[in-house]
Amino acid sequence: MEFIVNHLDLSLFAVLVTVGYAAGTFAERRHYASILTRERAQRQFQVMNAEAYFAEGRVKNSFMVSGSAVISIDYFKRLLAILRNIFGGRVKAYESLVDRARREAILRMKEEALTRGADMVVNLRLETAAIGNAANRRGRIGSVEVLAYGTAVTLNKT
Amino acid sequence: MKYIARELTENVNVSKSHPLAELAWLAGGLLAVVAILYLSLWWVADRIVPRVPVQVEVWAGQQLMARFPNRPDPQLTERVRNLVRLLPAASPLHRYDFSVSVMEQETVNALALPGGRIVIFSGLLKQIESENELTMILGHELGHYAHRDHLRGMGRGLGMTLALAMLFGQHSQVAGMASNLLIGMEMRYSQQQEKSADAYGLDLLVQTYGHAGGATDFFLRLADQDEGKLAYLLASHPHPQDRIAGLRKMIARQGYAVGPTVPLPETLVHQSRECP
Amino acid sequence: MIVTNVNHVPGRKILEHYGIVQGSTVRAKHVGRDIMASFKNLVGGELKGYTELLQEAREEATQRMTTQARQLGANAVINVRFATSSVAQGAAELFAYGTAVLVE
Repeated sequence: MEFIVNHLDLSLFAVLVTVGYAAGTFAERRHYASILTRERAQRQFQVMNAEAYFAEGRVKNSFMVSGSAVISIDYFKRLLAILRNIFGGRVKAYESLVDRARREAILRMKEEALTRGADMVVNLRLETAAIGNAANRRGRIGSVEVLAYGTAVTLNKT
Repeated sequence: MKYIARELTENVNVSKSHPLAELAWLAGGLLAVVAILYLSLWWVADRIVPRVPVQVEVWAGQQLMARFPNRPDPQLTERVRNLVRLLPAASPLHRYDFSVSVMEQETVNALALPGGRIVIFSGLLKQIESENELTMILGHELGHYAHRDHLRGMGRGLGMTLALAMLFGQHSQVAGMASNLLIGMEMRYSQQQEKSADAYGLDLLVQTYGHAGGATDFFLRLADQDEGKLAYLLASHPHPQDRIAGLRKMIARQGYAVGPTVPLPETLVHQSRECP
Repeated sequence: MIVTNVNHVPGRKILEHYGIVQGSTVRAKHVGRDIMASFKNLVGGELKGYTELLQEAREEATQRMTTQARQLGANAVINVRFATSSVAQGAAELFAYGTAVLVE
């Protein structure tokens, strides 16, 4: 007890790390579950990042669609990343962060395309931006934004 | 081209390793790095500190301590200066401009800060009953200066802070916390350092009064007290019982006489009792 | 595995496509490299350590992308795009994506 009082900042840090780990792991698992079910549901919808060439009269309509997601790192993973920065190598803590952001952004783009009645998305492009670049600095948020955009195409039914 | 919907069986973009296992590896590695750094700083400080000129230390002390208010206590400061006058002319302590200030705090301790600033906590002053005891404590702090113990600790603390700032980046919370902890640790001296400071204080006590009376009184009083109250002192110093034993051995070896003690002058008693 | 950054595989006919595949990796250099790089910043010039780091990471990202393509039963990835972003201080993310296809 006395130790906790004497090292208030240390105790607070330990609490934050534990909470970060528990909440972060829970949130990540739930997010992945939701990503997987939605991806499965949208599997039949085709997306490619290549340009597509269509025969005359095949395309009814085309428009831009986009989707974006900002995902933040939890306190525990931030600690891992800070430590990893000392030794170098693969920053595993951030891998799931960018993976989740990217898949979420693509899903949202597909959702937009689907609700607007598109049949496919071509020429998909992905942009990543780090918000709060100095993620290890005090008071900054370590998070990443992914923007997915492409051209949605509605085909004439033959 | 035809679109075929297929499902990915596994996620190659996320590593499979468990985050807690990674934390264990990284934290272990960091501990090893810090331990190596610490030992090498210890080694370097031990070699550099005895060669730092007093003038440089006094200058650095002024730079460092400029931020903290210093209201020297004239009576105590005069006492320390009288003690320094007893030292042989060759003693490096003559080059310090000593001042003693009292800090209102319940902890039973005193600090030797760089540049000759001695801080005594009012909690310690309250425990003192005779002039001889006070002389012993002031002599003990002077011993730390004579052996440059305060610089060793400071040097290591500063070195570690620097190294951590380099490892984690200046503004990182982790670095701030770690250096707070380390500096706290570095303000402590080793048991051996405390012992030689006690010996230094004992010699000064005998030179002042002609006998070693009162050398152990303060520690005897502490030894009787509840340990919880002394936690702070015990964390940084040897146990009073050990210090008493050490002092008695030194007195016997040197053949010092033990005479009657002189009670504290009214003014000092008054001041020490006044503190909350 | 054929990897191209154009819309097709030159000289081959695309039979089927399986959608987007992507590979990414986040890498950091150890602190010694970072310190050396900050010294290099004084005089300018190539930061060899970082060039190496990014090159390695890019290779890994490509490899992860082709692994995904293989999982889908593709034998080529067309229209590959690379992107680099700094997710955290001192760490860079390398990302590669393309369309997985089956060519004859």
